[in-house]
Amino acid sequence: MTSSQLMIEARGVNKWYPNGFQALRGADLEVRRGEKVVIMGPSGSGKSTFLRTFNALEDFQGGSVVVDGIALNNDLRNIDAIRREVGMVFQQFNLFPHLSVLDNLLLAPVWVRKRPRAEVRQQALALLERVGIGPQADKFPGQLSGGQQQRVAIARALCMEPRIMLFDEPTSALDPEKVREVLDVMRQLAFDGMTMVVVTHEVGFAREVADRVVLMDEGEVVEVAPPQQFFNDPQHERTRRFLAQIL
Amino acid sequence: MSRPSLQSWRRQLFGSVPDTVLSLGLGALISWAAWGFLHWAFGQAQWLVLRANAATLTIGRYPEAQEWRLWLLLGLLVSLTGLSWGLLRGRATAAGWPLNDRIAAGLLSLLTLVVPPLLAFGGLNQLRLLFLLGLLLLLRGLAGRWLAHRWGLRLAQSWPLVWAGAYLLGLWLIGGGLGLTPVRPSDWGGLMFTLLITSLTLLLALPLGVLLALGRRSELPLLRWVSVAYIEVIRGAPLITLLFLGQNLVGFLLPGGLAPDRVWRAAAVLTGFAAAYVAEAVRGGLNAVPRGQLEASRSLGLSTAQTLGLVVLPQALKVALPALVGQCIALLQDTTLLSIIGLFDLLGIARSVLANPDWLGRYAEVYLLLAVLYWCSCSALSLGSRALEQRLSSSNLRPAHR
Repeated sequence: MTSSQLMIEARGVNKWYPNGFQALRGADLEVRRGEKVVIMGPSGSGKSTFLRTFNALEDFQGGSVVVDGIALNNDLRNIDAIRREVGMVFQQFNLFPHLSVLDNLLLAPVWVRKRPRAEVRQQALALLERVGIGPQADKFPGQLSGGQQQRVAIARALCMEPRIMLFDEPTSALDPEKVREVLDVMRQLAFDGMTMVVVTHEVGFAREVADRVVLMDEGEVVEVAPPQQFFNDPQHERTRRFLAQIL
Repeated sequence: MSRPSLQSWRRQLFGSVPDTVLSLGLGALISWAAWGFLHWAFGQAQWLVLRANAATLTIGRYPEAQEWRLWLLLGLLVSLTGLSWGLLRGRATAAGWPLNDRIAAGLLSLLTLVVPPLLAFGGLNQLRLLFLLGLLLLLRGLAGRWLAHRWGLRLAQSWPLVWAGAYLLGLWLIGGGLGLTPVRPSDWGGLMFTLLITSLTLLLALPLGVLLALGRRSELPLLRWVSVAYIEVIRGAPLITLLFLGQNLVGFLLPGGLAPDRVWRAAAVLTGFAAAYVAEAVRGGLNAVPRGQLEASRSLGLSTAQTLGLVVLPQALKVALPALVGQCIALLQDTTLLSIIGLFDLLGIARSVLANPDWLGRYAEVYLLLAVLYWCSCSALSLGSRALEQRLSSSNLRPAHR
């Protein structure tokens, strides 16, 4: 594996919150181009925090994070450059409530990439069609169900044509019957070859889509293994304990 | 809601013995007050004071030879209002005017037909007002019918610029210079002055207040401290003391000729005062925007400034709108304090009229008119803001324009 194939390379990442709590303890992770990595772990294990360091929504105090060949440091230009290439989907959707669905998608490509509105509009409508929101393009986020909102959020991130997609518990805030429609979109995205890092509790999705599954606990990466091995023959005691709780 | 029937009225007003006593007592009190008022209004009051001073109360001591400029300005405002009205409301209903518009048009017509003769305006002025009314309704109709559909969206985007241009043009028409005879600010007065200084102050205080609110939340300590100190000092001092300070202190600090006109000094103080309160209202709005909005915007690669302007402020200002309108109304009423420092706002000019021996003791008539005028202005503000709030909140339920 050459380093140019690495989309994310996190080494020994440490993070302390201002109150002294250590959220990350030397967490390591490598994600290759086109790879799908699912991060699991008990709540408070630092998995969301770890994910959020990959697009500099969280800062960290020790170690290094290199995303698509660009080192994350305090250089604001680097941070902006990385954020353009990394799409993120949040647990709470975080759509812009004052903009229509279509305008949610147009905002960043028009203002950040400076692309002509009419051109982006075609692409945005196609994306909305792809995630099954086509007819709702002119509605406002508040008029959509949670599942629909999350699909719009995915389309919004995709409209920037990112090279990596991060998902932070994308189905945790959804009603159970809406989970599937979001996972279907993510599955399709994985099938199309997107590099994805997904924090989730959806075991079925992890088994089916992930190339590797990561277990985090107390700010550490405990185990990294292909799903078959991770779920059927975990190597670490902490992984076994975690799986016993969720399976 | 069902129509209140006679029976339900009876039940509500005379349902029990205490209710009956209360109803009768209050009814008697109201009738007595109304009788007293009518008796005064048609018996003792001498309305001549209003007729004789209508022009003064409206425009103060503005030179008569230059009055045409104010008429021109009024014509400009009326035209723009008519066009805006049509643009705003014409799109909603293709055929005919909505009920509210017809009511408004009717009320305006009634006022224009009744008030000028009552105040014994000159025939020429009455004609001018009628012409303006016609212009307003004509433009409303034309804009609603033609402009709104074909050009509505494109115009709506640049429309604030049109108003801004008209505002500057209005300032020039009032103040003169650049080819027009200058009219000094100290000669502006009356209702015109009150509306002018209120609008000017608001236009300046809103952006300043937003900046202060952002400063207060800034991560730079110095900026934050300065903003907090400014806001708290201003909010801790009564406006009238600040106005006196502005009138007197600046005179000491600057050599005589350099100190700006007293009107501008007062406007500056009002602006600085209002900005502190605007900042607090905006801060409330900023606090209401969830952190996730910021993170979503930053994760899409938008810069700090873009996040602020495109994501945070639009949402924050919408939340802050009711509080901001409250500030606008308070500011309009605060301009009455200008009369205490000797400027001729509506209250100031009224006091100067009352100081004239010809109109000795005609307090009630003049102050009643003032109360009505201020009430109308403030009500217009709150009505407008309620409509705006409804528009904004329903915009989340309506298809967006493409």
